[in-house]
Amino acid sequence: MSLLVVVLFLLSAAYLVAVLEDRLTNGRWRWLGPAWAGVALLGRESTLPRKPDRLFFETAPLLLLVAAVLAAAVLPLAPGLVIADLATGALFVNAALAYVLVALLMAGWGPDGAYALVGGWRFLGQVVAYSMLIVMPITAVAMRAESLLTTDIVVSQEALWNLVYQPLGFVLFFIASLAVCFLPPFDLPTAPGELAGGVAAEYSGARLAVWRLARLVLVVALAAATTVFYLGGWLGPLLPPWLWSVVKILAVSAAMLLGGHYLPRIREAQLLAWCWKLGIPLALLNIFVVGVLVLIWT
Amino acid sequence: MISWQTFFMAFFGIAAIVFGAAVFVTSSMMRSALALLFSQTALGAMFLAMQAEFLGVLQIMMMATEMSIMAIFMVMFMMDPGGLGDMDMSHQKRLSILAGVAAAVFSAVIAIAAHWPAGPETLSEVASAGAQVRALGVELLGRSMLIFETAGVTILTAMIAATAVAIPPLQRSKAHES
Repeated sequence: MSLLVVVLFLLSAAYLVAVLEDRLTNGRWRWLGPAWAGVALLGRESTLPRKPDRLFFETAPLLLLVAAVLAAAVLPLAPGLVIADLATGALFVNAALAYVLVALLMAGWGPDGAYALVGGWRFLGQVVAYSMLIVMPITAVAMRAESLLTTDIVVSQEALWNLVYQPLGFVLFFIASLAVCFLPPFDLPTAPGELAGGVAAEYSGARLAVWRLARLVLVVALAAATTVFYLGGWLGPLLPPWLWSVVKILAVSAAMLLGGHYLPRIREAQLLAWCWKLGIPLALLNIFVVGVLVLIWT
Repeated sequence: MISWQTFFMAFFGIAAIVFGAAVFVTSSMMRSALALLFSQTALGAMFLAMQAEFLGVLQIMMMATEMSIMAIFMVMFMMDPGGLGDMDMSHQKRLSILAGVAAAVFSAVIAIAAHWPAGPETLSEVASAGAQVRALGVELLGRSMLIFETAGVTILTAMIAATAVAIPPLQRSKAHES
């Protein structure tokens, strides 16, 4: 039952994110736009590049989708409304997100095309930059909850959301989650206008439809992770818990799309330099501050 | 009647062996690296089937990044990373096959001859996943702290040293002059 509800939620939220993305690119609200685009993609020919690594080329979009769904599987929408409430939930989110890299490398290598290849390897560099900024803020969140259970993490924010308790961690996690979803200004692996779509350049038709869906679900999954870790998950007055989750996740997704929309694309070397020279020291500082707060307040 | 636990152990065990064999069968460096990744992921899944949740999730997480980074090095340093030029990576085939078969037979004999604890009561003896995480944390910050800290600092030192060595001497002398 939970499985069905969560999957339906992921799909509908992904649809709304697609509508917003469409609005940002075309300047108009077209509520049926993504539906028509999806139908059109399914109707079009899905071309196969010359001499592809067929196995990787076919697997990559599916693996991206699976990774995004698995990451969302341990994030609760309401008390009891979670696919798997793992004792290692907060760690499992990282484990699932690590396969986003594998999917992008496969999509980069698979089609035997220069743009895709550059895009795939670029994402490897991007992961080296952002991965610590995903793991370290989550560590601080788990420190406060004294648990890796995602439901415990939500409950730990009953008095005060982590957004206020550890704002530094929130900022770092939010920026890093933009990089996970390769959203602007971190859209280095796809880089429209420079790599002509990069890892997604050679995909068309039904394969591209799966790829786009996976990317949208990934955005929703990261928004759900931000909600659970920093915005108190389902907690909130008056409205039912699940509705609070939905509102927060959609708001974070919108913020993720809007945040990068007005920024220029960052260079790979700059991203690495900023993440390692500034991001990691700040993440360590965040862990230290949270450690002190945990010791004083409890 | 085999339990689900046994079934998944066998399933992921066979998957680990198949992917492990694929590492050496393919000549594409990328396929080789990712086959090794999925072999390791299958091992992680075996840990999950054995109710070692933390270990399993950690294995599944760590290997994805590690093997991907290994892939780029394999592509960089091999003369034929795509495997399109009929490059043969294998050598000493007879010895390898003999060693492989001997090791497999040896492990199988141990697996069959060992006195495994039987019965359903062993399942309940396994601590819950939450208790395991807690026990691991206490262990890491208690008795084993010195070992892990020493290992961690040693690895960090090695990484810094390797990076320093990798910077070409030319650049270093230029930076020195300016």
